[in-house]
Amino acid sequence: MAEVRLENVSKLFGRKRVISDVSFTCREGEFLTIFGPTGAGKSTILKMIAGIETVSEGKIYFNEKVVNDLPPQERNVSMAFESYNLYPHMSVYENIAFPLRAPRWGLKLSKEEERKKVCEIAEFLGIDQLLERLPQHLSGGQKQRVSLGRALVRQPEVFLLDEPIAHLDARLKFSTQTLLKEFAKNYRSTIIYVTHDYREALALSDRVILLRRGRVEQEGTPKEVYYTPVSDFAGRMVGDPPMNLLDGEVQERDGEVFFKIGDSLSIKVRNELIPSLKAAMRDEDGKKIVRMGIRCEHIKMSREKMSEDSFQLPVYAVVSEAQSILVSFHLDNDVIFHARSMQQAVYDYNVHDKIWLEFDQNHMFFFPKTIELT
Amino acid sequence: MSRVDIDQVWKIYPRGNVCAVKDLTFTVNDKEFLAILGPSGCGKSSTLRMLAGLEEISRGEIRFDGEVVNNLGPAERNVALAFESYALYHRLTVYENIAFPLRARGTNQDEVHKKVSEIADLFNLTHLLEKYPSSLAGGQQQRVSLARALIRQPRLTLLDEPISHMDQRVRAEMRAMIRYIHNEMGNTTVYVTHDQAEAVALCDRMAIMNYGELQQIGTVSEIWNSPANKFVAYFVGEPAMNFIQAVIEDGETVVFPGPDGRWVVKFEGEINPSFIGSEITVGVRPQQLQVFREQPEENGVPGTVRVIEFQGEATVLTLDLGDNAKSEAKVVVEATERYDVGEKLWLYASPEHIHLFDGDLPVLRRNA
Repeated sequence: MAEVRLENVSKLFGRKRVISDVSFTCREGEFLTIFGPTGAGKSTILKMIAGIETVSEGKIYFNEKVVNDLPPQERNVSMAFESYNLYPHMSVYENIAFPLRAPRWGLKLSKEEERKKVCEIAEFLGIDQLLERLPQHLSGGQKQRVSLGRALVRQPEVFLLDEPIAHLDARLKFSTQTLLKEFAKNYRSTIIYVTHDYREALALSDRVILLRRGRVEQEGTPKEVYYTPVSDFAGRMVGDPPMNLLDGEVQERDGEVFFKIGDSLSIKVRNELIPSLKAAMRDEDGKKIVRMGIRCEHIKMSREKMSEDSFQLPVYAVVSEAQSILVSFHLDNDVIFHARSMQQAVYDYNVHDKIWLEFDQNHMFFFPKTIELT
Repeated sequence: MSRVDIDQVWKIYPRGNVCAVKDLTFTVNDKEFLAILGPSGCGKSSTLRMLAGLEEISRGEIRFDGEVVNNLGPAERNVALAFESYALYHRLTVYENIAFPLRARGTNQDEVHKKVSEIADLFNLTHLLEKYPSSLAGGQQQRVSLARALIRQPRLTLLDEPISHMDQRVRAEMRAMIRYIHNEMGNTTVYVTHDQAEAVALCDRMAIMNYGELQQIGTVSEIWNSPANKFVAYFVGEPAMNFIQAVIEDGETVVFPGPDGRWVVKFEGEINPSFIGSEITVGVRPQQLQVFREQPEENGVPGTVRVIEFQGEATVLTLDLGDNAKSEAKVVVEATERYDVGEKLWLYASPEHIHLFDGDLPVLRRNA
């Protein structure tokens, strides 16, 4: 398996720059996920690594060797796409066995060896009952697993997987995700994985590259991406519900700094957060405006006042989850934010009840505004 | 608003002889939020379409407040319907879109204005009334679509996966809003979805369907704690319930035989004595398993961590249990705690969280 490195890679379609100056390394044996919204350029990067798209600027290395000018078949990569691209006239078995038979890799497996490999991967993915069928007799989820099986049957320099489980139903997605993670561990494979689903990105990856309009917004482990987002965009991409983002005004009184949301809510900001708040705030119509981000599990709720930093709001809606409750609050400036709790007491909260809230400032972030909140 | 009775309803499509809904009976109480949940092809959308009057009822009766509506058309039933697609009039402003059902009935101008203002306020649409739908975001368009559906105070609100295609943030806001509107307007709502998290989040009660048949109807906690069969147990909850083969030893214990010993787990509830000695399936929810580094006093089963999946608010571990059947179990743990692949842990389940199944059917009888 290889290490894959991108150095200042850009891609232009005509005069339109869809990928700008992207650099990252996927180490040997690493599971790296390129994660971002639709249109961020995730698949374009993957295609450049595969050699299906040309590189406009910059270099792509496989183990210190520049591969920019190598055609796809000489790069020794294995791909699976969101669209299945199965050979319609071949059985599932033959589809999966196809890469093993390609003369280029010179594997020259005996019939028995081939069957063993195909059956192993088919059993692993739970499609061993389907080997004799033709693709037209499979459901979408089954086709997608066949496509994945075909990509995983051979050991290439790097696996490139583009939303390979996007079409599975929720249940199957979850279990296939676990299988993929296990596969990566067992074979110490170099995998570059593309998804727009934050759960897959967090669950599968050793590291995540968050992509925004063709640029790297954040690079880090799943926990870094979840707990320390670098921007409002990064906070909003991850979590269900994503990070709460609240815009407010910075006010200073008697040497203390307050963050004021709407007309009624004012929070005293702790000293250690003031530098990041000041770095993020901007002047708007003579006011100092900043955006605050906090995850729903970091907002405490109680019927009683908790401390001087607590404030009261009426409950807007209560939505139950398996083992927790999500309580929503509506602010006067048409902003809804959510707080999550696992405490039993919260189960009795009703709409319109006035509840005490407190933001856990250890998990509070201040960002400049870089996205629209509508 | 209304109480809705579905009484021995069948839907048979003669062409292809498909039976989409079989002998369905349940009641939606006045002002209730009921979710119909099931996998694709389970008959939930056919049921919704029969409620709306878009589909003929092959056999049986549907009653609104005791009145049989089988032969009433969609308009006469006065139901509000919203789908995944918003179906807005793109040449009309938001105001006119919302006012449309009232105009169609010839409501006078003052009345229209009053009602549109009221409902726009409820849906946070007041500042958007003069805009055209194409300039709005998806969540806003769906709000307009819902406002239009609800403005004529329907007897029943029917929602068919209205938000399943939206991104997480908009979905969270829309869920809160749908629940808020339901409470504020005192509606009777039927919500169809294949997404169990969606159903759990919103409903007062849920009806779970599979192969055209009702599997169970009840509150979230009834379904969570006493599933009527293995399908329901498996379908509700994410990650899904763990199923592990074991043998019933006596009236209160099951045994997992393993090469390193036998692990005995106590359960709560009554079983038919004829099951003693037979092999059954033990079901435990990943959310109700606890993890220990030392052997707990009882109900402990050892396992080795095979896969770790960080989910943001929690982490899911997949463990190999050291039993003869080579079972695995998933467990939800706190994301802040650190675990390693290959680590040995003890799983603990409290006796009241143990479910037992023989084939598809539950074996345990518990007093609720």
